[in-house]
Amino acid sequence: MLDYFREYFDYKILAIALALAAIGLVSIYSATYDAGVGMIFTRQAIWATGAIVALLVATFFPLRTLQRIAFPLYGGTIVLLLIVLIVGRTISGSKSWFGVGGMGIQPSEFAKVTTVLALAAFLSRPTTNLAEAKHLFIAIGIALLPMMMVFLQPDVGTSLVFLTLLIPVLYWSGADNFTLAIILSPMLAAFGALLGTIPFILAVLISLALLYYTKKNLFTAAAVFGLTIAIGLSVQAVFERLPAYQQKRIVAFLNPEADPLGSGYNVLQSKVAIGSGGLFGKGFLQGTQTQLNFIPEQWTDFIFCVPGEEFGFAGASLVLILFSALLLRGIKIAGLSKNPFCGIAAIGIVGALTTHVLINIGMSMGIMPVIGIPLPFLSYGGSALVANMTMVGLLMNFFSNRKAY
Amino acid sequence: MSEREIGHPSRRRVLTIATIVIMSLLFVRLYQLQLLYHGEFGKKSQENSVRSVVKDPIRGYIHDRHGSLVVDVGPFYTITLTPIEYDARNTPFLAQLLGLNESLLAERIAKASAYSRFVPTRIKRDLDYESLAAIQENLYLLPGIGFEVEMKRTYPTKARATHLLGYNREITEAQLGRVGDYYRLGNVIGAGGLESSYETILRGQKGFTFFAVNAKGQVLGPFEEGTHDIAAKDGFDLILNVDVGVQAFAESLMTNYRGALVAIDPSNGGILALVSKPDFDPSIFSGVTPADLWTELNSDSTKPLFNRATMTRYPPGSTFKMVLAAAALDEKVITEHTRIQCYGAYRFGDRVFKDMHAHGSVNVVEAIQRSCNVFFYQLIMKVGFDKWTEYGRKFGFGRASGIDIGEETSGLLPSTSYYDRVYGKGRWTQGYLVSLSTGQGEVGVSPLQMAVYAAAIANGGTIHQPHAVQYIRNKRLNRLETVEQRSNPTGISQHTMDLIREGMRRAVHDPRGTGYAARISGIVSAGKTGTAENPHGVDHAWYIGFAPFDDPKIAVAIMLENAGFGGAKAAPIAGLVMERYLYGELKRYVPPLAPRATKPADSTRAITQVRTD
Repeated sequence: MLDYFREYFDYKILAIALALAAIGLVSIYSATYDAGVGMIFTRQAIWATGAIVALLVATFFPLRTLQRIAFPLYGGTIVLLLIVLIVGRTISGSKSWFGVGGMGIQPSEFAKVTTVLALAAFLSRPTTNLAEAKHLFIAIGIALLPMMMVFLQPDVGTSLVFLTLLIPVLYWSGADNFTLAIILSPMLAAFGALLGTIPFILAVLISLALLYYTKKNLFTAAAVFGLTIAIGLSVQAVFERLPAYQQKRIVAFLNPEADPLGSGYNVLQSKVAIGSGGLFGKGFLQGTQTQLNFIPEQWTDFIFCVPGEEFGFAGASLVLILFSALLLRGIKIAGLSKNPFCGIAAIGIVGALTTHVLINIGMSMGIMPVIGIPLPFLSYGGSALVANMTMVGLLMNFFSNRKAY
Repeated sequence: MSEREIGHPSRRRVLTIATIVIMSLLFVRLYQLQLLYHGEFGKKSQENSVRSVVKDPIRGYIHDRHGSLVVDVGPFYTITLTPIEYDARNTPFLAQLLGLNESLLAERIAKASAYSRFVPTRIKRDLDYESLAAIQENLYLLPGIGFEVEMKRTYPTKARATHLLGYNREITEAQLGRVGDYYRLGNVIGAGGLESSYETILRGQKGFTFFAVNAKGQVLGPFEEGTHDIAAKDGFDLILNVDVGVQAFAESLMTNYRGALVAIDPSNGGILALVSKPDFDPSIFSGVTPADLWTELNSDSTKPLFNRATMTRYPPGSTFKMVLAAAALDEKVITEHTRIQCYGAYRFGDRVFKDMHAHGSVNVVEAIQRSCNVFFYQLIMKVGFDKWTEYGRKFGFGRASGIDIGEETSGLLPSTSYYDRVYGKGRWTQGYLVSLSTGQGEVGVSPLQMAVYAAAIANGGTIHQPHAVQYIRNKRLNRLETVEQRSNPTGISQHTMDLIREGMRRAVHDPRGTGYAARISGIVSAGKTGTAENPHGVDHAWYIGFAPFDDPKIAVAIMLENAGFGGAKAAPIAGLVMERYLYGELKRYVPPLAPRATKPADSTRAITQVRTD
């Protein structure tokens, strides 16, 4: 009986996810303890219950059916994204919410899951050949469509995730180095362009090198290089039109002291919070930075400061170790899966989660730009928690079906 | 199947290593921050944690056209409480000092603690001087209690100009959600009038002072010698077109009426005075807004909160006849010599429309002078409905004037398409036009629109967008900025305008004219009376006019609800206001009026008086 359970139920990854969610609830409780927003913790606890239900549904969902409905699910979330663009609620300058009975729903979080599934469904088809430009463009298009719609909300942080998960997914699916260079170089240029002229030139040079050393034919390489420069320049043009708060966040990354009240202030205070935690932290509800509400709305994007300050290096390391274990477990499941759909989807999930962890924790510690994306399982936000738990449930599903073709 | 392989073991290794590298990067940074730099950050958090305190800017002043200060700011005192330092045993004593109910105070303290134990929360605003003195004497006995100085609006002149200036009040929670993230609960925001429409200009920008606080939230001193502080930017001042003396005088003349008066400079559309009665003292909302007073004003049946100058929509009566006259003359339907016989009544179908007198044979100038209805009844049949509507539109009716105080009605200018919509195509007759010809029936205008119309007649045919603000004093660039404003010629010929103006001049200066009561000694003026038929009660009185006739400096429109004939009630007030403006003083003797309330305490009584009339 126990052997059967171990064979088909990946309790390890479940334990990791539940531990992260528990740390998240404790952190949210602490962050909102003295901020006059008591409802936040209660709401998140309710969402957590719902998220566990979602996890169980994803775990036991019939795999064949899931594979078949991957595209309809994807289409459904695209429609939701479209509706939210038209009638959504605006929260901190971006239109990404549905209001349902006092609780908001963010379709972009679910779009990540369905995009991964749709990519996996397409790339696992025996007829798909990534060496063919048409198939490559379809794969890119599947990620680019929701990415553009989320970008228009505008939610730059979340839209970025759709692009970054594409790289490991294509890599896993057997794309050659030249193909990866073709996709990577415009992204590098776009990112560099946001940071300024010198990073942009640097990004262009790296792209040039990448394309040159992986090139299969000179014409394509030259065309992609031209495209890279064009995209970089147009990103700069788009940046000028971004809402002020997004611009400020990007500028604040370059010079946090320039805007002591805006995002730069958050990063300074966040670094002070984490740094002052020391080895064992100041103790639960004893973090002065957290309890004195130095960081506005800390329970969303800057939640990592709470374990950092109150539980110190011991607590924050635990969070990092749990995330590492979760991501590596995901890659392992991908490797174990005989069904290519499962493998690709697992890598997509790992790619999305890695992006969130790297950008969010990196931002809290001042080594990543202040891009507003939540820390999986920890940040306040019901839709994100449900979506992340669903992804863990899918990994568990792939684990139990790992021997099926 | 292509030759590619999904999930090749080598690729799995690369992804595993990439993940380990990324996580290690975060790990190294965490180690660096928490263990290597711990000393530095720990100290910063212990001693150098930063708290920002908002510095409110001074709201912009408002001056009139001669530079008199109309709206000022003055200090008021607010008691704050920091829960963590406060001793709950002091509550009865504190309640006594503040003159507050003990349980109410305890409730407020509980609320403050729930919000934050470390931050001072306002527990009593706009304290009177006696209580303030009592608190200051006992401050050493009351840890956690402090006070801060806030600013509130004061009104140094005799004019109220409530609906023109608007007022300040505490922002409501409902508003907070709408107006963006500049405001916090307890902030003041402009409501109504100029205070609202020039809110972002008047309010300025908040500043921030940074304090170093220790782990308990106690202030240790300025953070890094205040080098990060951001100074508050004071609001810009407004310099109005309004003449506050004329405003106050017009208000006093209208004390016992319900109605409105708008005076405009015909050369540029500048608002010289804008009165809406009944009104209320705007200073009652400065500082703390008493909820019961607000409810009382809101439920008052005479609607003192309602801006009658820009928001009412009454028929203009005979003051509208010049629209039809202009259409007839300009479209060459009649000439100045065309005469129509008036027998004192006009039959259309089976209805008889009456006139005040049988005016006999009249031409257009005489018809305006003596306000002959029959002349215009017949004229609209010749001119036609569409032309009437077209000329009404030229004079600015049926649309918002674009005045810079925000709230105004566009009124209603009936047209063929409007009647088709309301009554159905072919379901209405030409008989409807007879009423419109003399400004009765569905046509609805505001006193403001009438003043713009009077100004356009005065200046020979240009519609100026009315504006109360002349300049904004930009304190950052230290210069006066002119408020932009549009002007549109009506395109009506000079000859037509001259005939209309002549009719209006005679209406005032010929003893047989209807506006004889509006005469100003030593100055030639022109005008037109009107009486709006009111099916629900006594008619509304109208008068529009301008002076001096040859070089108009002021145009006035006045409407008095349920006051009867325009010539008897409205015309004399218009004459007095114009005289006061043109001479800068009154030349004739005016019997003293009811004393005006100036103190906030009296203002409610003043409102009640109006109501019981």
